[in-house]
Amino acid sequence: MFNILKEPLMMRRGGGGTGGGGTGGGGTTPSGGRTFSYLTAPTSVTVNMNGSLTMANGASVSTWYFTNGGGFNGDRTVPSPVIEANQGQTVRVTLNSMMPHSIHFHGLDVDQQNDGVPATSFAVGGMGGAGSSYTYTFTAPHAGTYMYHCHVDTHQHFEMGMYGTVIIRPADGSTNQVWAGGPTFDKEYVWHLMTFDTSWHSGMGGMGGTILRRYSPNYFLINGRDGASVITDSTTAITAGAGQRVLIRINGTSYMPGRIRLGGLAFDVVASDGRPLASPLRTTELQVNAGERYDIIVTMPSSGQNNATVDYRNIRNNATLGTARTTVTVA
Amino acid sequence: MKRRDFLKSSLAGTAAFTMAGLTAMLPNRAHAATINVTLAAQDIFKTLVDGNSVWTWRFNDINGTGPGLLDSGLVVREGDTVNVTVRNRIDRNINFEIPGVMAGTPSVSPGSNRTYTFTAPAAGSYFYTDGVNGELSRAMGLSGPLIVQPASGANQLYSGGPSFDRQYTLVMNELDDRLNSAISNGQSYNLANYEPNYFFANGLSYPSTPSDADTLIAMNRGENVALRFINTGIITYPMHFHGYHVKVATRNRTPETRVIDKDTVYVGVGECVDVILPVTQSGMFPLHTHYVPGVTNDGSYSGGGLIIMNAA
Repeated sequence: MFNILKEPLMMRRGGGGTGGGGTGGGGTTPSGGRTFSYLTAPTSVTVNMNGSLTMANGASVSTWYFTNGGGFNGDRTVPSPVIEANQGQTVRVTLNSMMPHSIHFHGLDVDQQNDGVPATSFAVGGMGGAGSSYTYTFTAPHAGTYMYHCHVDTHQHFEMGMYGTVIIRPADGSTNQVWAGGPTFDKEYVWHLMTFDTSWHSGMGGMGGTILRRYSPNYFLINGRDGASVITDSTTAITAGAGQRVLIRINGTSYMPGRIRLGGLAFDVVASDGRPLASPLRTTELQVNAGERYDIIVTMPSSGQNNATVDYRNIRNNATLGTARTTVTVA
Repeated sequence: MKRRDFLKSSLAGTAAFTMAGLTAMLPNRAHAATINVTLAAQDIFKTLVDGNSVWTWRFNDINGTGPGLLDSGLVVREGDTVNVTVRNRIDRNINFEIPGVMAGTPSVSPGSNRTYTFTAPAAGSYFYTDGVNGELSRAMGLSGPLIVQPASGANQLYSGGPSFDRQYTLVMNELDDRLNSAISNGQSYNLANYEPNYFFANGLSYPSTPSDADTLIAMNRGENVALRFINTGIITYPMHFHGYHVKVATRNRTPETRVIDKDTVYVGVGECVDVILPVTQSGMFPLHTHYVPGVTNDGSYSGGGLIIMNAA
């Protein structure tokens, strides 16, 4: 039996990783129906391990994240910026890092060489590592919502915030249709489900040392905001005209499942994990588990405001651990 | 016991009942069989991948236990008559239940034996456990997989269902060693405080998982591979596939009709989820829970129920 542990089975070779310089747009501001900043592939990111987020109660939580000068919304370190490409396109994303990190393109079914797992491919950066730069290359398979994240010491690096969303647009680049021939929308949100166990973030100035076991989150967020801050956050709180169709790309970047409710408003679940459902599901609540993505479309009512909630639930018995609250408002 | 000996002894021990057969089809036979199995319910120390020794409860196949913490398993065919004799050697009453098939069966007291008889139900993935002590028994490990193959002998998840070229069974569970310590000391443990720190696939934790032939997912490009996720633990498992999307075929033996194409497959507490993996590319890829604390051994990454898929 081979020993998968002794050393990386594949070292970085050929193909990519020669360029240290970034290409592509950095921190592009929202456009179309978007409510978030985004990078367009080909692009490049670096890693910042000196970040922080301020919680609604004033507490500061240390964060690590991918960046290209901007972030998810320019005003916060995590989530990392959205990366966009079109279906069928050869996608190139360069990671520049002196410390050991990687990018796993979660759900994009890339080949082993570009999978970003140290045990089966390699990390970028670090002593004896594979250099300080690599260009991940793959073909975008299907329009939809995906995730990217660091896969080095994943339990820690992911919790610190090294994740973002990949949106694959239809081949024509349309920003008002989920996939070619699929449902249309007028406005678009990305909701990163997020929790923090701040004991996992403390004392993280250096590497290692702290044993991270028994995850018990104490902050419950959407898009890096918690408590009162998330209720009106422009990337999360939904505002749209009566009758408009709003797409929410829900990304399960919490270790805990989140139960989504839009205050009783019905919505259509149209896709999950970058694939259309066999038939859309109309519902008023949806559980999104760690690593899953769901695309939902809500048609705005004629008037008024609804309170939306994400209940983060215990993986053992579905008891609610904490709730992130926001709003759905007819403009 | 080495894996090879285990396979040999269990194959020799009872005709038509194998544990090794979790990955194989039973030999074809014309008629339903009567299968007799003896499981010793025992409380014993088990050594984990990092050397930690924990007090656990097992259903041990007396013809030979498996590697790691998976000590028995049943592979039968629809219509078979199965007699399971439980020798209770732990310190409290237990019974033998199969969620979805039989519950509320009579208990067997410590030191006693009782035989439980059932007719193998519709083809699919199941598990057995003790129902008297509820979640505590699953947290302590008193469970095992039950695979029922179609009467036809076809390589199908169920008669007329999705077919496959090969199949693997992946029993997912975990433990919180504070609970095991409490039980070993005769104390109780509030399951509300259950926060596991060891995680398993087929009773093994990475890096041991790919060294076991039943847990390394070896396959060839172009094949359809059936994977049976059986969650005998008491936490949920959102299983993420690197490299592939899969087709969710059944959830607790009910065909999935809506959310089918997935790279992350949710396996709830007590659920059995069968998927078909179309092997669309060659390479070596991980398969793991995206509750990433579950990819550790007592906080050490990587470990837990991390599974390796290797496609030629």
